[in-house]
Amino acid sequence: MTATVKKSRRSLTAAPHIVWAILFIIAPLIFVAVYSFTASDGSFTFENFAALGDYTDAFVRSASYSLIATFICLLIGYPLAYAISNAAPKMQRILIMMVMLPMWINFLIRTYAIMKILEDTGIINTVLQAIFGEEFELHMINTPGAVIFGMVYDYLPYMVLPIYTVLQKLDPKLSEAAADLGCNKVQTLFKVTLPLSVSGIVSGITMVFVPSISTFYISQKLGGGQYLLIGDAIETAFGNTTTYNIGASMSLVLMIIVLLSTAIMNRFDKSENEGGAIV
Amino acid sequence: MTRVKSKNSAISKIYAILIYVILYFPIAVMILFSFNDSKSMTNFTGFSLRWYRELFNSGKAFEALKYSLLIAVLSALISTVIGTLAAYGIFHMRSKALKRTVQSVTDIPMMNPDIVTGISMLLLFAFIQVIFGLQKSLLGFGTLLIAHITFNVPYVILSVLPKLKQMDKSLVEAALDLGCTPAQSFFKVEFPMITPGIISGAIMAFTLSLDDFVISNFTIGNTFETLPIMIYSMTKREVTPDMNAICSIVFVVIFALLLLSNIFDGSRSAAASITEKLRKNSKVTAIVAGCVAAVLLVGSTLLFIFAPPPAELTLNIYNWGEYISDGSDDSFDVIEGFEEWYEETYGKKVKVNYTTYSSNEDMYNKISSGATEYDIIIPSDYMIAKMASEGMLEKLDFSLIPNYKYINDDLKGLYYDPDECYSVPYTYGVFGIIYNSAKVDEADVEAGWDLMTNPKYSGKILQYNNPRDAFGVAMYAQNLDVNSKDRAVWQQAFDWLAKQKPMVQSYVMDEIYNKMESGEAYISSYYAGDFLFMYENNEDLAFYQPEAVNYFIDAMCITKKPTRDAETYELCNLFINYMLSEEAAVANAEMLCYASPNSLVIENEEYIEYMSDIHEDAMDILYPEGLDFKAKYEQYAYLGLDAETNKLMNSLWSQLKVSAEEDEVEITNYISLGILAVIAGTAVFFFIRKKKRAKYY
Amino acid sequence: MNNEKLIELRSISKSYDGEKVLRSIDLDIHKKEFVTLLGPSGCGKTTTLRIIAGFENPDEGEVIFEGKKINEIPPYKRHINTVFQRYALFPNLNVYENIAFGLRLKKLSDEEIKQRVSEMLALVNLKGFEKRDVTSLSGGQQQRVAIARALINKPEVLLLDEPLGALDLKLRKDMQVELKRMQRQTGITFVYVTHDQEEALSMSDTVVVMANGEIQQIGTPEKIYNEPENAFVADFIGESNIVNGTMIKDYLVSFAGQTFTCEDAGFAPGEPVDVVVRPEDIDIVPVENCMLTGKVTSVTFKGDYYEIIVDIDNFKWMIETTDRVKPGQTIGISIDPYEIQVMKKSEFSGMFGDYSTFSDEMEHLSELPAEDAE
Repeated sequence: MTATVKKSRRSLTAAPHIVWAILFIIAPLIFVAVYSFTASDGSFTFENFAALGDYTDAFVRSASYSLIATFICLLIGYPLAYAISNAAPKMQRILIMMVMLPMWINFLIRTYAIMKILEDTGIINTVLQAIFGEEFELHMINTPGAVIFGMVYDYLPYMVLPIYTVLQKLDPKLSEAAADLGCNKVQTLFKVTLPLSVSGIVSGITMVFVPSISTFYISQKLGGGQYLLIGDAIETAFGNTTTYNIGASMSLVLMIIVLLSTAIMNRFDKSENEGGAIV
Repeated sequence: MTRVKSKNSAISKIYAILIYVILYFPIAVMILFSFNDSKSMTNFTGFSLRWYRELFNSGKAFEALKYSLLIAVLSALISTVIGTLAAYGIFHMRSKALKRTVQSVTDIPMMNPDIVTGISMLLLFAFIQVIFGLQKSLLGFGTLLIAHITFNVPYVILSVLPKLKQMDKSLVEAALDLGCTPAQSFFKVEFPMITPGIISGAIMAFTLSLDDFVISNFTIGNTFETLPIMIYSMTKREVTPDMNAICSIVFVVIFALLLLSNIFDGSRSAAASITEKLRKNSKVTAIVAGCVAAVLLVGSTLLFIFAPPPAELTLNIYNWGEYISDGSDDSFDVIEGFEEWYEETYGKKVKVNYTTYSSNEDMYNKISSGATEYDIIIPSDYMIAKMASEGMLEKLDFSLIPNYKYINDDLKGLYYDPDECYSVPYTYGVFGIIYNSAKVDEADVEAGWDLMTNPKYSGKILQYNNPRDAFGVAMYAQNLDVNSKDRAVWQQAFDWLAKQKPMVQSYVMDEIYNKMESGEAYISSYYAGDFLFMYENNEDLAFYQPEAVNYFIDAMCITKKPTRDAETYELCNLFINYMLSEEAAVANAEMLCYASPNSLVIENEEYIEYMSDIHEDAMDILYPEGLDFKAKYEQYAYLGLDAETNKLMNSLWSQLKVSAEEDEVEITNYISLGILAVIAGTAVFFFIRKKKRAKYY
Repeated sequence: MNNEKLIELRSISKSYDGEKVLRSIDLDIHKKEFVTLLGPSGCGKTTTLRIIAGFENPDEGEVIFEGKKINEIPPYKRHINTVFQRYALFPNLNVYENIAFGLRLKKLSDEEIKQRVSEMLALVNLKGFEKRDVTSLSGGQQQRVAIARALINKPEVLLLDEPLGALDLKLRKDMQVELKRMQRQTGITFVYVTHDQEEALSMSDTVVVMANGEIQQIGTPEKIYNEPENAFVADFIGESNIVNGTMIKDYLVSFAGQTFTCEDAGFAPGEPVDVVVRPEDIDIVPVENCMLTGKVTSVTFKGDYYEIIVDIDNFKWMIETTDRVKPGQTIGISIDPYEIQVMKKSEFSGMFGDYSTFSDEMEHLSELPAEDAE
């Protein structure tokens, strides 16, 4: 009996967290729901959701851009993580550190630096003009491509890290076993390494997709305000009390989209808590 | 240990190097240009430590860094304590359902987009304020700290919980067996075992907090700035190279630390090795625990010191960005001047909090949201009318503002404040078209507003990123009444903007300076005063003033605030009067380059000389001779729009901004659809194959 | 077993980080043979196996398979399969798919795969386990899956790297029998790596004893046990008393101050030699008609016999006997000529065979596998 008493008393240490979570995680989300179902005078309404129709393009655009960015991150990030995990152990540490290092520069500054590089009068064009003459101009900034590039650049480390973590934990004997059973390098990669690193891929995708679909800074700086994303729309809405309600409904929909896609992604990942998404 | 070495290692090496080059190129550029002699981030004009000097001389960045560090340390410490306790509690929970529930709730801040977490907390704080009828916004140090703790705790739990799970249960039993009380066994056995998790959790919390921008953006309020917030407000206009300098320093420090930890520690990360040392020595653990407690205590004390501003007089000024003489470039610091003058005259310290906005609407939104509190604001005319009619402005006490007599009579008693009771003009002016004379043909300029829809300059045209001004341009261009209540008129303006959209490089506010000065854009509409400002940095720029343009006045007002005591009210009026004094007014006029309504300024020889130095026609551009300002103003100025028109304008505006261009839809949407199809196809293929194979089991 | 050579290793050398792991190994493996590479950890046996599998390339020497040099052929093209030490089963696949892995690569039809997988499951006694998750299996079951997965490809050679190391004693014994059965049933050449001499002796056709990156002796289990070629082999295989001796002439050797007849010849007269006498081959006799006398220093009861340590001429001998003796007692011993094995002096002489510091515990410690170091 005393043991059970002690057990339950031990779990009491979670109490501050539970109280905190109710106050500052659950309650705020309830307010998001409350605001999205009320008009600015506080009466119940579905109008905010009806008004979301105006923002369909922004939703579609955010989803498209972030999907493309995530996919590119995966295409670039997986081979990089794979190459790093195949390097000598000493080299691996340095290489993975070098992937993490840019994250220590605030993403605002990184994005701004990209803007300065991609501009029509930016470094790339200055160099190109020096080579091909004054008239030459490679227009990059303020295009969807620039926004997607910004997402890829800012969030690539989030893709590489979890994949690397999983790859590095993989038993090298497994790829030997595959080779032994008749797999060449490519077959080993696709039949053994890739399926076994699904958990890393899933957390990588989630970690890139979520900030990409909700970003507003990248589209502001690299899209020139031309390609309004849902994050921009939410940020703008919350600049003004009269549009809090529609902003809340946009957030609610965004949240549902994100949670749904995360849930779908996690279905691909059978191993629970294996992840190592966090470094 | 892979011995099967890739024969393709050369390819993979080249690939990795390429990615690293791309990854580091922007950073290298940033570091390089932190040593640039000039402000430019494209032309390296010479090596100089100028920006590093400026960084160390200006307190602003360090102030922001200080707050960033304070928030990061406090939130990391508190969330580490809460998180560790929570992990311990969760681990020992007997009810599976409860455990699962708590864990899923804990996961929410990690899974939710930051922007949703941020706004959800903003809504909570706003709601609390409304419910308790608080005048003062809750947003500030406290709310920011709460927000940071909230998103940090889950990460601490995430790194502590696995350590608890990994721990051999018989260790605790062994400790009990050897005579430990349960408490002793916790401190002697369990705690040392999970210390690595606690420390890595704390480090992660610190890092996340230091770097956070999105959540902070919604919960910080306006009493102070953290570094990311400061960078954000700066990038709205232009990142000065001292930001590059501070980031370069941060980068180099981190780089050096990582390198050191790598050199000193062969196999483990630095954190792990520290924790191992800690684990070996329980005395050290005790000391560390003591330190943590002490720092927490000090931290919470600091919290009380920082949270409510010290009990001296404070004056909160909310102004446009770069709209006051602030001491930069050896100018006269008006704020400091006022603080000194006040202390000398009244023997009392006054603290001026100065924050900025980038549009009338932003300012209005902030104030009407009640989420913030300000004393003095400097809105434009139509906004003054709107705010006055909504009772958001306090009447001025002109007995405390004797300098009002220097104000040009033409600018008094205009529609927005017919009884001269709410406002004192600060600047006035006109907007026009600014163009790059090196790139734009003079002949095209003659077309006036049509220049802004000239396909020849497609991609080089800037447009306002606020509906009133953008629609204003469209209406002036078509000779429409900017104050019309007619839907059709607005629709006509919208069509003009929609037609212009594909040619627009970007929708901007303050970024315009940077983009015009650097030659990134050729054509924009902006204010005459700003033209002079830009001309200082790029002499190719020229100004054209079409017939139909906006005339505006920005004036100083006091916000309505019932809780304001008489002394502060007096202070507000005294500040306005001080702004009209010759020293302050000339300094402001020189800094802003806008026309001044103050006769003390216009007649000041030094001022005239100063402006002519900037541009030979400066005085003519700002103060055109024979201009009947009042008449023009009454014809063209913005009036406040009624709610319905305003709603129409906003809805047309979001339609303009949101709507997709034809070709854009095609490319990205089809690509993403393609990706989805590939993913779905692959999933289906594997699903079917699995099913097919399973039949044989 | 026939005499057709399947694999030939010719002067194979290999070093890691400047440390020689294999020093010029020569080894022939014949068809249908069960060859065991036996030796302590770090002796190079696993490296030899990995070179045959193709996971490692030798620095020098040739690997010949059916008469062709295969040094440059990658593992996936060799008709050789491996059973890994810790199984290396693919955790994302179930039992069926793990076993079918190699066949899937060959793009066989589902029907054929099913048939062959069933055969294999029958062979390894795992019928009905098709859908099971490999991570849910016990060690022994995982081991069987690993074997089935390798055997299904019908390799010419199956390499087994300490396959039973992680199993408990009882299971190990059962698996030894089963492995031998499977080898006979399939007729595939097995190359088996172990550090367990008992395992080696009971299963193999040929035992290859290795130490310090060199082969010490190749032979049948009986020959290895009865006629060890040097002190290392004698000590590593079973218990041995190894004493210094001198060959007087053929069939006559002197040690422990006495001269004995033996069955060895071919040494130079007066040549110093190592003499091996197994503890169980020594008879205790009355002191009056003995060859040697000694004083019992310790007696340990071992169930079906006693293990006693006897000090003979300042050298500690181990004797296994059913006679009851007491510590301190002086006993006489006698050794039959055919129980005496005379060996040439080697680098290992004087390192083994003295039981003065003997204890069971030490013996076990020295046997702990440390293959990970390789």
